[in-house]
Amino acid sequence: MAAKKLRRARLSQELCERLSRHQITTCQDFLCLSLLDLMKVTGQSYGNVQKLLCKVSLACAPKMQTAYEMKVRRAVNPSSAFLSTSLHGLDKVLHGGVPCGSLTEITSPPGCGKTQFCIMMSVLATLPISMGGLNGAVIYIDTESAFSAERLVEIAGNRFPAYFDSDEKLFSMTCSVYLYRELTCGSVLKRIKSLEEEIISKKVKLIIIDSVASVVRKEFDTKLQGNLTERSNFLARGASLLKYLAEEFSIPVILTNQITTRLSNGPAIQADLVSPADDLSLSEGASGGRKRESGCVTAALGNTWSHSVNTRLILQYHDLPTRQIRVAKSPVAPFSTFFYTIEKSGFVLQVYSVTDFGVVHLNVM
Amino acid sequence: MQRDVGSLPLAPALRARLVAAGFQTAQEVLETGPCGLSKEIGISKEEALEALQVVRQECHSDATRTAGAPGTSRKCTALELLEQEQAQGFIITFCSALDNVLGGGVQLTKITEICGAPGVGKTQLCMQLAVDVQIPECFGGLAGEAVFIDTEGSFMVDRVVDIAAACVQHCQLIAEAHQEEDHLKALETFSLESILSHIYYFRCRDYTELLAEVYLLPDFLSEHSKVRLVVIDGIAFPFRHDFEDLSLRTRLLNGLAQQLIIIANDHKAAVVLTNQMTTRIGQSQSTLVPALGESWGHAATVRLIFHWDNNQRLATLYKSPSQKESTIPYHITPHGFRDVQPPAVTQNPEGTEMNPRKRLRREEEK
Repeated sequence: MAAKKLRRARLSQELCERLSRHQITTCQDFLCLSLLDLMKVTGQSYGNVQKLLCKVSLACAPKMQTAYEMKVRRAVNPSSAFLSTSLHGLDKVLHGGVPCGSLTEITSPPGCGKTQFCIMMSVLATLPISMGGLNGAVIYIDTESAFSAERLVEIAGNRFPAYFDSDEKLFSMTCSVYLYRELTCGSVLKRIKSLEEEIISKKVKLIIIDSVASVVRKEFDTKLQGNLTERSNFLARGASLLKYLAEEFSIPVILTNQITTRLSNGPAIQADLVSPADDLSLSEGASGGRKRESGCVTAALGNTWSHSVNTRLILQYHDLPTRQIRVAKSPVAPFSTFFYTIEKSGFVLQVYSVTDFGVVHLNVM
Repeated sequence: MQRDVGSLPLAPALRARLVAAGFQTAQEVLETGPCGLSKEIGISKEEALEALQVVRQECHSDATRTAGAPGTSRKCTALELLEQEQAQGFIITFCSALDNVLGGGVQLTKITEICGAPGVGKTQLCMQLAVDVQIPECFGGLAGEAVFIDTEGSFMVDRVVDIAAACVQHCQLIAEAHQEEDHLKALETFSLESILSHIYYFRCRDYTELLAEVYLLPDFLSEHSKVRLVVIDGIAFPFRHDFEDLSLRTRLLNGLAQQLIIIANDHKAAVVLTNQMTTRIGQSQSTLVPALGESWGHAATVRLIFHWDNNQRLATLYKSPSQKESTIPYHITPHGFRDVQPPAVTQNPEGTEMNPRKRLRREEEK
């Protein structure tokens, strides 16, 4: 909307020509100028300039909707609001599953099952709506070359043996998972920009990027000067593009992240924590019972990235082979923990336990 | 009438011609008349007429301003302000500790800023306020409407439904306890549907849309005169990336702050902004500070910082013209923003660590 040319904002032809002589062609350029600059550049009086501002603002301001209209729209299409993870306890706590229209992040130390989770979600997205899926294609952007088609077929066959009873069904499922291997930050960004047309043409219902952290941490060394801001810029641009796609098409976006150890001394680390749930060393069963003085383990990619994702799930080791999945950030769910193992059919929830981090009051005062 | 020609809000080129032709005051321009003006300066008669109308309007509004017309002037005595402030309502947050710290709740005609790390509850509080502003007057609310400008996409309708349902239930309990006529009548209109219909939601994807929306907001508020709350959830997000020109960013933010102050004053609305935290790398340690820089800190009148202490969420009043700095705990429940049970306003002695640059307020000996 910002790049909308002024011509389309219903300004008169000669005014547009005059403005383009000063290199002002889009709404963004127009709105960034102060009133006095605008008077000079358009040659109009104060009152007229204010009217022009209103016109240009009307051209690029968003439409108003009441919360009631939004609710009605959601109610009409209840199944399209979430993608069920087929893990019953997790779905209940998240009010349905991975939410559509926002970014969900899976973080964990290596080997806990991020890629397995992503492959499982790919299978789920291709299922018909009656079985809890979204009946659509999946775009899988793989930066670590960890995707295994054999595992995809194995999970599908073992998790839903009744549905995938013929080779034909398995074949059509694998046809709807589009895999892209991108190995640099630039190519990942370019791929994200090209996704809009692909989503429409291929009827995509799920975007997975596995993993964001590996490609970013390879290219940006934050100890070098200037790299921190460049990295934040890249992440922020990627996040806003993905948010736009997620909201525009009402589809879930799943991203995976790594963990990092923040070594420092003293209380300074406290300030950097996003939330206690994020501090992996605080949770029960952290491997080796890591002490707090040596450092703390949190999700990588920094603070700004944490602001951009809407839901964060953390996977961790518990007692091998059991692992735990924790809801660390969600606008609808309290902090909860579930235990699972990884089997042939993907994730299997072990003990349906919910531990809250804060005291939750369930009665109105 | 003696106003200098250079200060009139005409097109710059026209102003330059008037000054070059020797006109000095607005009076002279008005006396000349359109035909004379067009001949002297060399513009068409229509343009001259337009310019004269602008000048006449300017002089007229100058005259009314100096005559002290009521309602248009912005000056009044402190006593009038005191009466206004005392009669004004607050928007309660349903967390009594936070309301006490704020002096009754979120104040109208002021800008309140909420900063905090991701996931600490800023959007939750904004959604709670959007529901609380609509509480009918007999229950202690303002019976207003809310505008919610979302830049991050974190507004969840389902969550607002939960919060609104809890609020309606709370009011129903009060009505049953008191059994008064107006309570029951107010409850008829205070339903889930009406609450949701009076939250006006705008989704701005970048700073241009945000700027455009804030330009159009005064007109929108004039049409919907019952709006008492404007929430901008995520003022930092659109300004934090892809901005090479930091001076442009500062100028745009200052402009936004000015417009929001005018909106808050003219329409008697509360403006609530949420800000992100950013890491400032110091010599020996790094601290979390509110984003958008030092100069933005001056924009808000009241500043709240939400943070964690072990597993407890805390809210600190960091900047306020009338209340003392203090820290209180709060909870996010399935019903919304609530107190910690039992509700207590605790004075955190280490709260002063949050404001290393402020002088300590001495406890008054009473």
